[in-house]
Amino acid sequence: MAKAIHKLILLSGLLSLFHAAYSAAQHRSYLRITEQEFVSLPIDILTQGIVSLFITLYGVMNIAGDFKEIRATVDLENKSWETLRNIPSFYVFNHRGKALSPNYIPPSDEMD
Amino acid sequence: MSWSDARDLLRLWREDNERKSQDVVNLWETILSKNIFKLGDERLLVLEQVCLASLDTNRLDIADKCLQSLAAEFPSSLRVRKLQALKLETLEKYDEALELLDSIIKRDETNAAPRKRRVAILRAKGKHSEAIKELTDYLKKFMSDQEGWQELCDLYLLEQDYARAAFCMEELILHNPHNHLIHQRYADIRYTQGGFENIELARAHYSLAFKLNPSSIRALYGIFLCATNIAVSPKATSPKRKEATKLANWVIKELSKRQERQNVEDSQVAALEGLISSVQLAASA
Repeated sequence: MAKAIHKLILLSGLLSLFHAAYSAAQHRSYLRITEQEFVSLPIDILTQGIVSLFITLYGVMNIAGDFKEIRATVDLENKSWETLRNIPSFYVFNHRGKALSPNYIPPSDEMD
Repeated sequence: MSWSDARDLLRLWREDNERKSQDVVNLWETILSKNIFKLGDERLLVLEQVCLASLDTNRLDIADKCLQSLAAEFPSSLRVRKLQALKLETLEKYDEALELLDSIIKRDETNAAPRKRRVAILRAKGKHSEAIKELTDYLKKFMSDQEGWQELCDLYLLEQDYARAAFCMEELILHNPHNHLIHQRYADIRYTQGGFENIELARAHYSLAFKLNPSSIRALYGIFLCATNIAVSPKATSPKRKEATKLANWVIKELSKRQERQNVEDSQVAALEGLISSVQLAASA
């Protein structure tokens, strides 16, 4: 289950990513105003973008839950026929389990 | 145990189709009935699961309460009416249950669940042949329903009609070719039928089951039985016999390796040695 710290990490990663994108846009508009040629983004914006990408990845992986095995055969190895043979749509209830409940009234046998 | 652990456990049992009815009822009574509203989206699924479990253990008080909550949420739901029919089944009022199910079917022709319950009622009454007939009609309409094929296979096995049971298992294999348990069960059925071709088929499927799940001891024993059967069968040609004896010897080595790994007790080691000696007798025959 998602813990608060992982949600916090995810949120900060997303915010920092958004911040990096906004500062990149601001940088380009500044270059356009001062009529300089656009070569590449400043290094600090690049590193902020990449670092926040990894932070977001880490946050999402912890929130999304465990990975399942790709090979279909591996997670069947621990199952037994006992669980596979149970079909809830076809359950029959007239078994002896009734006698174990506290409400059970045994049928009175009247022998002549 | 906290309520979130209980909820996770119930979810696990629900997804794996585990029929642990007494445990579900105990969990419900001790923990979850007070915290029911913390469950959020799963509340209704849990209510349905607890209802089914309480019907299984004859706790009609709990079943009534669950049904009331569900009916209050969804007053005209067909799924809730199906649960009410289930309750009638538990009370052995089969005719009323059948009437209720027929009314649900009339309301919605495409709903598979009440038709399956009709088959279950016929099976509960002991009328296996009628249940088979009803289930085959159902499968003509809903051909890809795996649960239906599995239940039909079970019913045929009860009637000892192995050929048709094998056919149903083949359908299941088509749906789940990677599931080692289905191959193993199919091989069990073929081995029970007997006859040289069936035992060869059984050996093939046991081997496939072992390939899919290398920790399946049942598949290993199955391979051993089929191989010894082929080795002594009069219909087998000589190269097939040699191959079968080699296979049986290999299986025994595998089994002893696995027993060593698990530190099995002496009586079982003795049983394995008995198997080995029987193979040597057959090989020399």
